[in-house]
Amino acid sequence: MSGQFPGGTFQTDSPDSWHRVHPVSPLVRGWVAVAAVLFIFGRNALDSLFTGGPNGPGISGGAPPVVIVAVVGAAVVVFGIGFFLSWRFTRYQVTDAHVHINSGIIFRQQRRASIDRVQSIDVVQPLVARAFGLAELKFDVADGGKSAFKLSFLKLDEAKRLRAAILARAAGVAVDPEAPGQVTEAPEQHVLALGPGRIIGSAVFSSLSVVAVVVLAGAVALAAWSGEVGVFVGFIPIFIGLGASYWKAITGDFNFRVALSPDGVRLHYGMLETRAQTIPPGRVQAVGISQGPIWRPFGWYRVHVNVAGYGDDRSDHGNRTVLLPAGTLNEVMAVLALVFPDPGVDSPFEVFTAGLRGPGNRQGFVHSPRAARWIDPLAWRYNAYRATSTALLCRHGVIFRRLEVVPHERTQSLSLRQGPIMAALGLVDFELHSTSGPIKPVVHHMALDAGRRLFDEQADRAATARRIHSSEHWLAPAAPDTHRDPQENNHAD
Amino acid sequence: MPSQSKPAPPVRPFAIDPDGLTFRRVSEKLMTLRFIERGLTGLLLVAIVAVPLVLRLIGVWSGYPSWLAWALPAAVLAIVLWVLALVPRQVRAIGYAERNDDLLIRHGIMFHRVMVVPYGRMQYVDVTMGPLERMLGLSSLHLHTASPGTNAILFGLPAAEASRLREQLSARGEAKLAGL
Repeated sequence: MSGQFPGGTFQTDSPDSWHRVHPVSPLVRGWVAVAAVLFIFGRNALDSLFTGGPNGPGISGGAPPVVIVAVVGAAVVVFGIGFFLSWRFTRYQVTDAHVHINSGIIFRQQRRASIDRVQSIDVVQPLVARAFGLAELKFDVADGGKSAFKLSFLKLDEAKRLRAAILARAAGVAVDPEAPGQVTEAPEQHVLALGPGRIIGSAVFSSLSVVAVVVLAGAVALAAWSGEVGVFVGFIPIFIGLGASYWKAITGDFNFRVALSPDGVRLHYGMLETRAQTIPPGRVQAVGISQGPIWRPFGWYRVHVNVAGYGDDRSDHGNRTVLLPAGTLNEVMAVLALVFPDPGVDSPFEVFTAGLRGPGNRQGFVHSPRAARWIDPLAWRYNAYRATSTALLCRHGVIFRRLEVVPHERTQSLSLRQGPIMAALGLVDFELHSTSGPIKPVVHHMALDAGRRLFDEQADRAATARRIHSSEHWLAPAAPDTHRDPQENNHAD
Repeated sequence: MPSQSKPAPPVRPFAIDPDGLTFRRVSEKLMTLRFIERGLTGLLLVAIVAVPLVLRLIGVWSGYPSWLAWALPAAVLAIVLWVLALVPRQVRAIGYAERNDDLLIRHGIMFHRVMVVPYGRMQYVDVTMGPLERMLGLSSLHLHTASPGTNAILFGLPAAEASRLREQLSARGEAKLAGL
């Protein structure tokens, strides 16, 4: 999967050279419709063969074979023409600065994305596409996940080459004057992998199981109360739904691997549909680490990220914002080190551990003042914040624990809020606005003075950090990027 | 640059206001606008809840309890009047301040909120003007960043001030723009 492969170079296109996706693509996309049609007519045909066979042709009981053949033939022709046209009218082009995709037969669509605005790239292989050795290249621009650019489908190698080319352009890699436009796929460096036991365990010990137990208990109670076993039949759809959720949770995250390439963090996952997700450095807007009460004995944490292109992303594939589905503390730290190479403290492990565990003021965390116990009787010593030189850490919760990390240079805007009760207690809420995603960083119920100070300092820090990190091209030599890890610099050379 | 409008009358300070800042206030005409908007909405509400009372008075629906017939419109009327009474204080609580790197917006009388939007984070600025606003010469200014949480709207800016601010913000935003 990883590493170099033959012909791993890519030449960008001139304005008038266009490519087409793989001819099988429409079939891979529309196979469900084809299969449904074939199934219905095929069954009819078989029925009529069997019922019509002994009685001889021409007897009622099924359409005559001629009609069936004609209908199937017509369906094949219609699908074939549709597929051919849809393939014929889909063209793409990758120039030095833009990706163009033209598609549509009747309603033409011409889309153009600036490469330096690309937030992340996925190579997705649905099951059928894997059978053909094809992959979909999907990349997001910063629009809150409203529209992704998709190229479906390409040969896997071609998709990887395109990904490398787009990422290299986005990174602002200096083009080699000897061989302009040639980009080699950068080798991946394996970081960690989650075994099947972990993925299954994380699904079994999840809120889903709580729901399952509650539903089961309800069913048993109802059956015992009414004295009828038939009650269970009514619960079957719910159990089927739960089973499907388990299946989705397990197959979706199966084989989860994290790797680092100079192009960014690369996540591989999926059992049937596999996905290789690339998040370039500096595209992570915020990180959230969370742990529910069931996971506490196992010491597992889930890591989410806000990436501008993903948005909330509940519809397409809920897993895209997950950086680590279930990891131990050490694995969490390893992954955090990839997305935040510089945590801005001397002893990141201790600081982040304090941020994940609480309570109290250890490791520079500042929790809510005593006054907050009136509105936060349990959590007031857990709700805390700490500003490092590069990021703000917000800790929350006793039962459901959460740590939110926002780099200073990724802060969009800030606000302070205070309602009448909080005003009476001298408390204030501090909100950081990140791009849309699962993490909405906030520090609850801070002391008024601390809140005002943090507000001022944070506005300052955000402004300074922004002046330092001014470039969108994360590898461009001109950008005075001081703290990136050395491999990336090698790549830029 | 802030010389063309008269110095803003003092704003009652919030506990959460940053130190050493004078907020500029929006136009007092916003009160008129809000009185008209909320007054009309309130009138409509009162009219709707007063329907049973009218029906009862003209004898169509005599079964309706008379205390309810009177109490409901009275309660709604009281709420509407209270909302209207809050308008002047609400409008006076709206303030904005331009600093070197960011714009601050504050509002609310019971639920205070102060927000800071760095210029480099602004994606675009909307200036809108409804028919009533046009009559009063007001505009609303909406700042957008890449975050949906940035809910930065300034209502009731005088039209000239709104376009000055828009130009100012765009210029500063371009000077400091720093991607996402």
